[in-house]
Amino acid sequence: MKEQISCDLVILGGGPAGMTAAVYAAQANLHTILLDTAVTGGLVNSTHTVKNFPSQKEIHGITLMEKMRDQVDALDVPVEEVCDIEQLDLSGETKIIETDECIYHTRSVILGTGRKPAPFYLDEECEEIHYCAVCDGSPYKGKRVLVVGGGNSAFDEGLYLHQLGVSHLTLVEEMDRFFAAPATRDQLCSQENVTAMTSTRVCGLTMEEGRLTGVRLSCEDGEKTIPVDGIFVFMGQIPSNEIFKDQIALDDQGYIPSTPHMETNLPGVFSAGDINAKTFRQITTAMSDGTIAALSAQRYLNPR
Amino acid sequence: MFQTLEETTYESKIAKVSAGILICFKQLCPHCRNMEKAIEKFAKRHAQVSLFKLDMEENPEASQALEAQRAPTLFVIKAGKIVARKAGLMNPKELTAFYKNA
Repeated sequence: MKEQISCDLVILGGGPAGMTAAVYAAQANLHTILLDTAVTGGLVNSTHTVKNFPSQKEIHGITLMEKMRDQVDALDVPVEEVCDIEQLDLSGETKIIETDECIYHTRSVILGTGRKPAPFYLDEECEEIHYCAVCDGSPYKGKRVLVVGGGNSAFDEGLYLHQLGVSHLTLVEEMDRFFAAPATRDQLCSQENVTAMTSTRVCGLTMEEGRLTGVRLSCEDGEKTIPVDGIFVFMGQIPSNEIFKDQIALDDQGYIPSTPHMETNLPGVFSAGDINAKTFRQITTAMSDGTIAALSAQRYLNPR
Repeated sequence: MFQTLEETTYESKIAKVSAGILICFKQLCPHCRNMEKAIEKFAKRHAQVSLFKLDMEENPEASQALEAQRAPTLFVIKAGKIVARKAGLMNPKELTAFYKNA
């Protein structure tokens, strides 16, 4: 028999938006629960160095998120991590969220589920395709790697792989330009053993005895094969909306078109952070959304 | 919850374990943190299973001997022997199935 818990607010997602909302909600004396299907921190955990967070000249993403989590814990907000959300009903005045451990009955919800890495477009089984340079990069010291993607993640992770000592790094982007910040882009592209190409798509793998030996690239000047030992995919992010996509109005890309007060189409349900339809997705903008969502939830719960 | 294993002692410690899970991790690996939480959740329902962790960067020889190249890599230990291994993420349900089938 699962434990039944009643509360004022459940926050789904423990990234910067969700944790900021938790801080504000706790300070407003709302009985708040934070749920995350992974560990708290969101995509920031995968950022090696954050250089644009005011008050921190330079900080590792995990460290920054640990600091944020410390504050949530200090305010005694219960956090359930790595939870499996089995059922969600956002329609009524009391919203019901069932995880593998508890059933929560709450008067309001903040959706802060953020985004997740986009999968590789090439649908082929290959053990040498990776999505995390820190996790899987070290065996590639002295070897050739391909990085797929042209945004900040691709260039950041490319720099990490380069620092590990790969023998050559090729970076390919499908579009006709790179989207990474110019400073990061220049830092990687200025290295001697780095080749970066736009308007280039991976169209196939070459394998020998089950191991990757190269990739076929489709470029503006035709198709060519280059030797690589490993592929690291960082093709941007897609919205993490699976658990509520049938209940909340979304735009055609799967994001929530929230109001300036972070309201969704359902009363008592707010949204914050990267899951919202917007132009700029930064840690600071997520925190702004989280602040507004928590204050809006407070106003919804205690109207004057 | 986790006992930390080190280069010089990991083999003798594993040999004494009747039922356990070992995670090889890296400090700054985000997936390792997820996996550790999933293991902790699994352990709440399997109190008899001992938990171990080994830092791959601090213990490169042990990692090599265990053939742990990717982080996280998980090992199931039964009767003092490693009986299954898997690299990458699992949720608590997948971990339960992985442990039971090992």
